Amino acid sequence: MKSWLVPAASLLGAGWFFATAVILGVVVGRWADDRTGLEPTFTLVGIVVGLAVALIGGYRMLQPLMSRLGDEPPE
Amino acid sequence: MKIILFAVVVLAVLATGFIVAAGPEPHIVIPGEVVWKVGFMPITSTLMASWLAMAVLILGTFFMTRGMKLIPSGAQNFIESIIEFLYGQVEEIAGEKNARRFFPVVGTFFLFILVANWIALTPIFKSIGWTKDYGHEIFHEMQEKAEKGKVFDKKKHFLAWQVEDAGGVGLTQPGARTFKFEIHEGEDPADALDRYIVALAEFYTDFKPQADGAHGEGHADPADVEAAFAALQADPKAPKFINADDHAHEGGAEKHHGVTSHALGITFSALEFPGDKIALVYPFFRAAFSELNNTLALAIFAFLAIEFWGFQSLGFGYLGKFFINPLKNPILTFVGILELLSEFIRIISFSFRLFGNIFAGGVLLLILTFLVPFLAPLGIYGLEMFVGLIQAIVFSLLLLVFAVGAVEHHGGEDHEEGHGDGHHSGEGHADIHHLEQGAVQAH
Repeated sequence: MKSWLVPAASLLGAGWFFATAVILGVVVGRWADDRTGLEPTFTLVGIVVGLAVALIGGYRMLQPLMSRLGDEPPE
Repeated sequence: MKIILFAVVVLAVLATGFIVAAGPEPHIVIPGEVVWKVGFMPITSTLMASWLAMAVLILGTFFMTRGMKLIPSGAQNFIESIIEFLYGQVEEIAGEKNARRFFPVVGTFFLFILVANWIALTPIFKSIGWTKDYGHEIFHEMQEKAEKGKVFDKKKHFLAWQVEDAGGVGLTQPGARTFKFEIHEGEDPADALDRYIVALAEFYTDFKPQADGAHGEGHADPADVEAAFAALQADPKAPKFINADDHAHEGGAEKHHGVTSHALGITFSALEFPGDKIALVYPFFRAAFSELNNTLALAIFAFLAIEFWGFQSLGFGYLGKFFINPLKNPILTFVGILELLSEFIRIISFSFRLFGNIFAGGVLLLILTFLVPFLAPLGIYGLEMFVGLIQAIVFSLLLLVFAVGAVEHHGGEDHEEGHGDGHHSGEGHADIHHLEQGAVQAH
């Protein structure tokens, strides 16, 4: 009955998580670039790390959801 | 025909709204407005709102559960049904054993966020507060700079409303006008004062500046300043600049710093507003989670709770989720580090999600009330009630899901394919699982 609550919350959470992870990566990267003067290096590293965190963290967040949806009997 | 009639009625209501209830231009501030200062600690409007939410919850629970009975009725019944419903939800996700541990925290988060979001939609919010007198503040800025003999080093923008004095209480009436003034970067206080005199005269009297060309360069025309000053002096309700010499004659012991006007050559030491003031309302209450500090506090606490439960259940084995021996599996080591990062990113995503939703809702309401005073904001109020509920659900459910993830043993090597890393280990989950299998068999 209320089985939609958890998926809905997880999806809403995952969206923000993706965004935060990537943006934070870029922001930290830019900050590190400003400090060190190695202009694009850390920004690129930040983007890659942010994307990786978003991917892995998001996968972990959505995995129980996906496996549960997969388990559901076809109507 | 019906449609035309409907359209006419809607237009009439909107037009009435503009005539009767048009508000001043909204002023949007992101940090909470400081209501009081206790020692070094500023008490902001958002903090006041969270205290109000706490008071509502504590007093509500106290009065509704006084004289508890075994067979509940009335208010006690209401509270118990809420708690039972929430507990059922938590149990379904976390399992019976974990639910008893998680529920007090998760349930408190839910109720606190929900109440804080919903009371923010009541009319006392954002409407009652101190009036911050910008009319004087702008003059003080000039006084300070003139005293130090400096020019303004930063651009400053002021936006304030016409506030009437209603028996000692400042009142912003429908249709109140907005006063805007900008201090330019590198501007001399004397020049700023000239422009301020002109701006005040334009706002308070029907004075209109004559020279256009000089205005564009950020300097007021001397003739305009003189005319504006005369217009201000002539109108009894307009603000009065007090001449520094007159002030000295009145014999105040304190020394007043004057600002000399370029165009007039007179030094002014004070500014008085006999009629309407130019001020902004600094509300006592603003939606608690429309400030990042408050949502961040919740997020940090949620993070600590999750980590605490993780350590409580798994001991130091909990750290094994993040730090994996690179000799054993280098890829998992990397994944573990990223997972550690993602634990911390949760703090930020938790806080920004709640802050973003509530702040945006508040701004939307403010702007819409300004643009279309009647009817349209009603629908948005309904939407905001829904958003407040959804955000409370999302915050507490995510906290719960993360907590369940933190306390379960890491699947590691022996996890089943297709079932994730043992995410189903909660007892409640197992029950659902059985039920689902039963359903499959029944089909």
